[in-house]
Amino acid sequence: MTTSIPAAAGSGLARRVEARQVEARRVESRQAETMPVEAEETDLKETPNSDRPWLVIVWNDPINLMSFVTFVFQKLFGYSKEKATKLMLDVHHKGRAVVSSGTRERAELDVYRLHEHGLWATMEQST
Amino acid sequence: MLATMSQQLSPVVSPDDPMTRRLFPPAYPEQAARGAELEYRNLVDSALINHHRQAFAIVAETAEADTLSEAELNTWLSAVGSMRLVLGTRLDVSEDMDPPDPSDPTAPEYALYELLGQLQYLMIEVLSAQFPDEGRPEGAL
Repeated sequence: MTTSIPAAAGSGLARRVEARQVEARRVESRQAETMPVEAEETDLKETPNSDRPWLVIVWNDPINLMSFVTFVFQKLFGYSKEKATKLMLDVHHKGRAVVSSGTRERAELDVYRLHEHGLWATMEQST
Repeated sequence: MLATMSQQLSPVVSPDDPMTRRLFPPAYPEQAARGAELEYRNLVDSALINHHRQAFAIVAETAEADTLSEAELNTWLSAVGSMRLVLGTRLDVSEDMDPPDPSDPTAPEYALYELLGQLQYLMIEVLSAQFPDEGRPEGAL
């Protein structure tokens, strides 16, 4: 999978967005009692190819609590408390930190999940 | 109070509204990536709006509840976080700023902003307990 393919209809992010809309309908009908578990796409387990990987960057902002940022890193990435705290402190003191890297599709999905949680995240291709 | 805020914010959540724009940050910061950014916005903005509206709706409905399920608590955390982002943006808060003087017209809003932060902190304490300290190698929920 090359990194020049834009987020197309079959991409992980598009599936996530669609899943979000399905979830919206489900919540409206008051049937969901628990958070739906999202199936991880198997292609995300592939190692990045020889193209430069995409980096997901979280930026410092004056509003989000440090404890919340740490919480989000643990929740979204399964990082240990130690790693999540270290990344949060990097964001806080250095202004930004790379929180994950991989294919462009995976990066876009991670950015979206971070945006859902109110964090300021961007993506860029590594140099 | 939270129910009222939820009901007030829900209809105006939009990337075009200056009050809620902070809830729709850019994914691609560089000017050179405008095409990619537009594509990202087209893909996610309506989903983000739905996400926030659902969260506000659940808070409004469960505001009087004695207990919340874990899923509801996660939703509350998200909604309270969003409210705080909107308020903080309006108040133009900066890192380590001093609270406004009690006579300042923004003082009540700032107090609300701080209160929401404390509420968020409590919810995080509860929800963090589910995470193993060593993390989950299989990844996120």
